[in-house]
This record gives sequence, C-alpha cells and structure tokens, in this order.
Amino acid sequence: MSDDISDGTGLGDGPGVEEELLEEELRQAASLLDPVPPALLQSAVDAFALRDLEARVAGLTFDSLVDAIPVRGAAAAPRMLTFTAGEVTLDVELTEDGLIGQVLPPAPARIEVLTGPRPSTTATADDMGRFTAPVTPSGPFALRLHTTDETVMTEWLRA
Amino acid sequence: MMIGTIPSAAYHDVPYTRGGTVERSEVGALVRSAVDGDAAAWKAIVEGLGPLVWSVVRAHRLSDADAHEVYQTVWFRFTQHLDRIREPEKAGSWLASTARHECLKVHRQARRLLLTDDPQMLDTVSEGGEPEQALLETEEAAAQGERVRRLWQAFEELGERCRQLLRVLIASPPPSYQEVSAALDIAVGSIGPMRQRCLRRLRARLEARGTV
Repeated sequence: MSDDISDGTGLGDGPGVEEELLEEELRQAASLLDPVPPALLQSAVDAFALRDLEARVAGLTFDSLVDAIPVRGAAAAPRMLTFTAGEVTLDVELTEDGLIGQVLPPAPARIEVLTGPRPSTTATADDMGRFTAPVTPSGPFALRLHTTDETVMTEWLRA
Repeated sequence: MMIGTIPSAAYHDVPYTRGGTVERSEVGALVRSAVDGDAAAWKAIVEGLGPLVWSVVRAHRLSDADAHEVYQTVWFRFTQHLDRIREPEKAGSWLASTARHECLKVHRQARRLLLTDDPQMLDTVSEGGEPEQALLETEEAAAQGERVRRLWQAFEELGERCRQLLRVLIASPPPSYQEVSAALDIAVGSIGPMRQRCLRRLRARLEARGTV
C-alpha cells in the first residue's frame, strides 16, 4: 500500500489510484470543514439582481494600492482610484470621512454608492463634476453615475 | 518549501476534464442562458463554480472577513463581466483569476496598513476550523470525524505551495487544469506533476502518523 511513496518512479503519469482516492477524501474533508458559507452562496445567487444592462461599465484604470509606489510613513494616504469608460473618467478617493470624487468631463450627475444588492447611498456631483458621499465603503462597492445622457457603473471593487 | 519541476509532458495539451455536479462542458451554455436573463442558470453557475472561487480565496490564507469580501466582490464583478464575456466556457478561469488578483490586493493592502514586514502579522490565518468542528460532533459525522480532522491537519501542515495547489484542486466539483492554472498562475503542464508530488507528500505524512 505504501511502497511507492518516495521511489520517484512513475512520474508523468499523473496521480495513481491511491493518490486519486486521497484527493477525493481531502475533497470531502474540505466540503465538511471548509465549505462555501451558506450566506455567501446566497449573496452570490442574489447578485444576479445587480446586473444593469443599461449601464456602461467603467473599468479600473488606476488603483493607488497597486499602481502607486508606497511611501514609507505615508500609510494613512487615502486610496485613490480611477475608472474609465470611453471619454468618461471618474476619480475617487476613499478617505476616513467618506468618499470624494470627480467626474470628467465635468458635468452634473447623480451618483449612487452601491455596496451590494441593498439600497444605496446617493450623492450629487456639482457643475464641476465634484461630489462627496458621507460613507466609507468597506467590502465590495461600486459607483453608478447617472448623467443627463447615460448611466455609467464602475467595476466592482473591494474597498 | 519549493517544489522543483519534474520533467513530464504527460499533461501538456491534454484537456483535463473531471466529473462534477456541473459538468464543465455545461458552463458555456449556462453562461449564455444567464446572459439571456435566466436566473436559474445563474444559480447553477454559482453553485458549480462558487466552491472554486472559495477554494482560491482559502488557498491565499485571508482572514474570514477578507475572504468573504473577496468572494462577494468576485461574483459582483462577474455580473458585469457576463455581458461582455467572449468565451463563456472559460468563465471558471475568469472567476479563478479574478479571485487570485483580489486576494493579492488584500495581501498588499494588509502590508501597507500594518507597515511591517513581519510575516507573522501578514499571515492572518483564519481560525476557520473552529465553528466547523462543531459540525463534526454531530452523530453521523462522529465516526469519521477523527480521521477527517487528522487528514485536514496534515494537509494544513504541508508546504505552502502544496497546500495552495491542493486547496484549489479539491474544490467540489473538481476544477479543470485551466482553472487551476488561472487560480494560481502556474503553467497547466506543471500541475499534474506537482499534484502527484503533493499528494504523495500528504500520504507520507499520514503514514508517518499511522493515519492511513
């Protein structure tokens, strides 16, 4: 049963029967000890309601978490994000006091801060396209921007 | 612990399909139905590929809170990706890859917030075993409980690369090698040999403890 543990032969043929069985047993252990939490499963099922067929999706084009060079001692700097959909750009800063942003080209707009399939917080962009929302998202969030012409929705991110 | 490359071409170019409640060949059709607004198809996708996403998240050792947020973010983003998807049958690879990227971002964020290089601090391993252990106390599971616990413990103690690879491979239904490749950013051709080696290691550990 155990004579082929470390002889190093049979490589390249993929796992043997015993390894396959062990993997299957481990799979069952994972299903028992570390399954997808039911609430999360439900949340992903419910997420289908988040689909917005009208909105153009603005992709993340800058994330200070990834794209900025970390500066020692500047850990408290707010995270800065840029989303782009065609000619529309949305700059967002996640500060401790809330969310600050600007729509470019500048235009008045209504902005929803989404955190899931629940009702959202709304902010209004002024003539310069600037807006603030008194919420600091934690976890998944997206912004939906309604201008006079169209709806743009940012890619979902984890704050 | 690093795992060397074992010379092998056995898994190159071999489409690796394994059975499961949702056959991977069905994923493309389910995605197309979901695009057309079929909520039941969406649910089937979540049930079929959710365990893969969860496995990728777990493979990256996030805290429970971070793991939950990443899992949700991945699915929320998939609702946006759905209508632009070019290869519906590769939805699993997209989900796995998106999950990996989000996990890496969490690590990056943690590093900045902590302002420390102490790996102990970064390794915010969840104590996910605790609540589930109660499950093992239930009557039907009690007999197998001890063995399952020992198996899981031996698995958790494997080297990081083996633990990661196996955690993704043991998603249920089992992922394709393309999905595993997307989940861990490793070449499809190296998965088979690594998988074999890691399982042998796990078995050796169990045997050393007389648990086989």
